[in-house]
Amino acid sequence: MDDPLIVVALLLVAACATAAVAVRDPERQALVLAVLGTALAVLFTVLQAPDVGLSQLAVGSALTPLLLMLSVRKVRRRERGKGRTR
Amino acid sequence: MNGWTATATAVLALGGGATVWGVATGPLGRRVVAQNLSTSLACPVLLLLAQGYGRPSYVDLALVLALLGPVGTLVFARLLAEDLEGDPPGARAATYAVAVFGATVVIVLCAVAGPGRAMVKLLVTGALLVAGNLVASRALAGGFSGSRHG
Repeated sequence: MDDPLIVVALLLVAACATAAVAVRDPERQALVLAVLGTALAVLFTVLQAPDVGLSQLAVGSALTPLLLMLSVRKVRRRERGKGRTR
Repeated sequence: MNGWTATATAVLALGGGATVWGVATGPLGRRVVAQNLSTSLACPVLLLLAQGYGRPSYVDLALVLALLGPVGTLVFARLLAEDLEGDPPGARAATYAVAVFGATVVIVLCAVAGPGRAMVKLLVTGALLVAGNLVASRALAGGFSGSRHG
């Protein structure tokens, strides 16, 4: 029925997930992960599962990047503190 | 497959590909801008899909994305402020192009829906989308430098 749309959404998710693995810096990885969350939400909508897409949007576009960035920040700060005391 | 879903497919293929490319390569500033544009591009796509599938309840997804997308970008703008200070990212042309595209989609859908509750919902979504997009871009470009380290 909507085959081209499903193919495009799947390709987008695949490209985004590959990029999320290939990028090495955690901060940039969080950015790619935010885009991946949005792409997944679009894919779920295309596959007629808007309820899953809604929760994916809430978790993937704001919450996961926030948690990742906060933990990266905390680890960096701790490392810096250690360097100072040595 | 009708005109709405065909338009959504084209926008998803062109814009989605461009944003994935932008977020996976290049300097940090470009990546943040690409992430911002990806959310404000996915929102009109979801609106088009809701119209194409003939299910007005799918508009909820676009509403949530219009609300949460700028929040995610503001998270990055706040936590990456030190890294972005060197070269504040500004993609004025792309930002305005995406904002105009979103507004166009909302206006066309409003004209199709006709007056009523659905139109109010579409207008709220569009206002949130455009305002959130512009605010997030301004925050990324360092427009609120006074509250940066607050």
